[in-house]
Amino acid sequence: MSTLLKLKKINLKYQTGKDNISVLKNVDLNIKKKETISVVGESGSGKTSLIMLIGGLEKPTSGKIFFQDQEITGLSEDEVSEIRKKNIGIIFQSFYLIPNYTAVENVALTLELNNFKNPQKEAKILLDRFGLKHRFNNLPSQLSGGEQQRVAIARAIAMKPELILADEPTGNLDTENSIMITSILFKYVKEEGSSLIIVTHDPKLADKAKRKIKIKDGKIK
Amino acid sequence: MEKLNKPSEFSLIFKYALKDLGRNYHKISSIIVTLFISLFILSAIFTIEDSLKKELNDNAKALLGGDLEIDYNRNRGNLDLVNQVKKFSTVSQMIEFSTMLSTTGREKNKSLFTRIKTVDEMYPLYGNVDYEPKGAYERMQKEPYTILINESLSKTLNIKINEEVKVQDKKFIVIGVIKSVPDVSGFVAFGDWALAGKQTLEILKLNGIGSFLNYEYKVKFNEADKPDEIEKKIEEIFKDDQKVKLRYPENSASGIKRIINNFSQFLSLVSISAMLIAGIGIANTLLSFINQNNMSIAVRKAVGFYSGNIKTLYYLQLFILLFIITVAAYGSSFLIVPIVDKYLSDGLGLNVNPVFSLLNFLKIFLVGLLVLIIFSIPTISSIDQVKASNLFRNVFQNLQFYYSKKSVSLSFVLLSVLILLFTIGSEQPSYSLGYFGAFFVCLFVFFLLSKLIIFFLKKFKSGSLISLKVSIKNITQTKSITPITVMSLGLGVTLLLTLALVGTNFQREIAKSIPDIAPDYFFVGIQKGEKEKFEQGILNMDPRANIEIVPMVSSGIVKINGIDPNTYIKSDNDSYWVIGSERRSSWVENVPKDNPIVKGQWWDLSNPNQLQISLDAKVAKDLDIQLGDVFTLNIYGREIDGKVINFREVDYRDLSINFAMLFNPQFAKNIPHEYLATAKFNSNKFDETKMIEIMPSLSMIKIADYLAKVTAVLNKVFIAVTLISAVTIIIGLIVISSAIMVQGKVKEYQNLVFKILGFSKKQIIFSSLIEFIIIFKSVILISILFAVIGSKFIIENIFELVWMFDFKILIYLGFLIGFVTLILILLTNLKYLNPKVYPLIRNQ
Repeated sequence: MSTLLKLKKINLKYQTGKDNISVLKNVDLNIKKKETISVVGESGSGKTSLIMLIGGLEKPTSGKIFFQDQEITGLSEDEVSEIRKKNIGIIFQSFYLIPNYTAVENVALTLELNNFKNPQKEAKILLDRFGLKHRFNNLPSQLSGGEQQRVAIARAIAMKPELILADEPTGNLDTENSIMITSILFKYVKEEGSSLIIVTHDPKLADKAKRKIKIKDGKIK
Repeated sequence: MEKLNKPSEFSLIFKYALKDLGRNYHKISSIIVTLFISLFILSAIFTIEDSLKKELNDNAKALLGGDLEIDYNRNRGNLDLVNQVKKFSTVSQMIEFSTMLSTTGREKNKSLFTRIKTVDEMYPLYGNVDYEPKGAYERMQKEPYTILINESLSKTLNIKINEEVKVQDKKFIVIGVIKSVPDVSGFVAFGDWALAGKQTLEILKLNGIGSFLNYEYKVKFNEADKPDEIEKKIEEIFKDDQKVKLRYPENSASGIKRIINNFSQFLSLVSISAMLIAGIGIANTLLSFINQNNMSIAVRKAVGFYSGNIKTLYYLQLFILLFIITVAAYGSSFLIVPIVDKYLSDGLGLNVNPVFSLLNFLKIFLVGLLVLIIFSIPTISSIDQVKASNLFRNVFQNLQFYYSKKSVSLSFVLLSVLILLFTIGSEQPSYSLGYFGAFFVCLFVFFLLSKLIIFFLKKFKSGSLISLKVSIKNITQTKSITPITVMSLGLGVTLLLTLALVGTNFQREIAKSIPDIAPDYFFVGIQKGEKEKFEQGILNMDPRANIEIVPMVSSGIVKINGIDPNTYIKSDNDSYWVIGSERRSSWVENVPKDNPIVKGQWWDLSNPNQLQISLDAKVAKDLDIQLGDVFTLNIYGREIDGKVINFREVDYRDLSINFAMLFNPQFAKNIPHEYLATAKFNSNKFDETKMIEIMPSLSMIKIADYLAKVTAVLNKVFIAVTLISAVTIIIGLIVISSAIMVQGKVKEYQNLVFKILGFSKKQIIFSSLIEFIIIFKSVILISILFAVIGSKFIIENIFELVWMFDFKILIYLGFLIGFVTLILILLTNLKYLNPKVYPLIRNQ
């Protein structure tokens, strides 16, 4: 399998008041295409920061990140956005749906952004696949937590991205919904051949990934 | 659960209200700013109005020139009667007339039509004459051939002290410059005027006929006497003299008072518009504030507060805030008074000082309270929707405006009180009501427009442009700020465009009258035997000059159909001037071209011994005069009955020779008269100074100079009006900005998701731009429509001028407002455009 993502000597520091906090320290990481990886670690160890760097939502203090052999650390914000909208899908613990958009509109937004011909139809197909046919025109506030997360997953995979980043996707859900979401996510990456990086505290969920990475004090162990 | 609804626990609520306000005032800063600006404008208007009126009332005697004025107008009057008054009081005689004042000894001498007031040594009975240099006034009283000129005259003709000037054919030395005289009400408020000693009349050999002298006798009572008794005594002396008019201090400066009242009414209405627009923003900001406190409201309910207690808590916070803002706004308004004082002391010699009025303070507080309550009722009522049970479910409930029958009725009643407050007691209540009517119609139309925009955009297929889709979604979403933006921007822009159109139409009308219709000069003071001399003098300088000469006689209406004319018309009527004092009338053989007959027949030649009157149709309507009615006129002391036989349509705006009354020449030609003339020149060879050398008693009024003075005053008025109107726009912009900020968290969150999904910054900015263009385009079109209707009504019905559409000013102002609003929207949105992902996600 060829390399999809490469992180070289990544450091991330934050300034909080007078303190300089080192979140990630000299992180090196290679991720191959179609690979599934779980990232575990204690709270504050740097898991979410790692995901955000990979997704191009933050810039590292030093080091380089290569996505499909293209260095993204030197790119402008808009150039990184261009790569993200086509190749990376992100799923959050808190769903991050747009409150005034219906379920269909939330999913269709990604497709419209990529100039899909019939975004509403495609969005409906995806939501139907995740058992949300009866919720097409509901606003996020009218959906349960599990339903909201399914809409968020549908939005993340709508563009069939090469890489899916999931930050505690089951963190806000009950056991039943957690099992459903996990199953949807892993079934999808298997069928579509996407790579998946999943940050989790749940050992069962972490075990489902082919590779498990542990982060402690900003370093990969 | 303990209920906290006992009156004794009010102090607890008050304590919480103070604590909450102290901690949260920055969250409602837009309420504070908009409320302060609106109340400040209102306070400034009230304070200036009160200060001015106080100055006028305090100086009523000085403004009138005495405790009483005996006005004989164009007659010298009955001196026997005046002498009787002199026996028990001090009387000062003054005679005013207008003539030409010219420079002498220069290469190119200049002349100006000047009002000259000749005064005796008693003048002024009250107040002081402010002049330079010291002793000049006393010299003027003692030394013949001396004169004091006002500052305007000194500047216009560049006359220095001790320079020689000519009044008619006599030379006078300018021995000083007057800054102000106390009796401005009976004198000219602006323009060129001079003071001279009483001997001047003899020097100039002026007589009653043809010189249009104005005779006034000012009376000062002895301090020991009771004013009421003396007034009655004087009334008794003059009871049989129909030529006299007695005036009292309370009638002084009535013209200025009327202007103040009208101007204050107009500005108050503009400022209440600003307040009502601010109200929209207040409601919005308050809802956001309550939404932010949603959880604490739920907790308070859980620990035993009733919904009513919590609502009282919020109303109390608003009440405290309003009190502080009213004090600040009212206090700050005193800072404006010195600026007004500077302007007025230069122009009118009035000195205004800030006057504290508890009534005004309470009125401003009441207006603020009414606006606050009207707009906060649906917001604070939303507190009823918060349930303590939400705490157990961990559900955040977004509150909405809450309308019940009771709250809507209460809002309606309070709004009616607010309207009545501005209508009752105003100078013209019908105009105030009309203004409010138009305001609410506009508000409703703009609300409908916002709904129409949303309706059509929901049906619109936006194609593939993602920014367009996002902007349409932003406009059409359930909690969009589109209605607020459309209403506040719409009302502000409408007000400004209307005033701009009124201003430009007014100025154009005045400016265009000069070349199109009006003559270049008016000439008065042409005596009976000087008609040919005058014509020759003009034609020698410009053989192609168009001259119009008409006879002119001064007459007063003593009776109409045998009774007092004052029973026919009230003093505040536009046509009162016709009976108010002596007017000039003329006679012509044929119907004047620009004065068509609208009713009746032209002169009855079979009845040459009967005085026949042709009357201005508007005057006839205002006085309710019918054809065949009889006017008893006083012409040079003789009472003559004249029959009204036709009505003419007179348009005074053309500035040509127009008279309210024309007589039949067969009867009138034998009356002693002088001539009035106009001339329009075809070259620039006319020389004013040379003309005065030919006819020293001739007076000339250059129309261009006169109109320039009027335009200059109007320009200042329009600048003030436009500035106040611009405040409405500023408040509208603050409301829009606050509405964006209210949505700030939602916007930030939305843009965060957009960023995660791969939107570029350009796309997000572009969507904001499209959103603005869609809204502004619709608003400006409706605003232009309203401005056109509003300005057309004002120009044609109130000013009775010709209205014209000024495309240039609309485009100019439209783009300017659009640009400023766009910049404001982009700047307000800027901090939400590029949210930092990490802190937002971590905070979640």
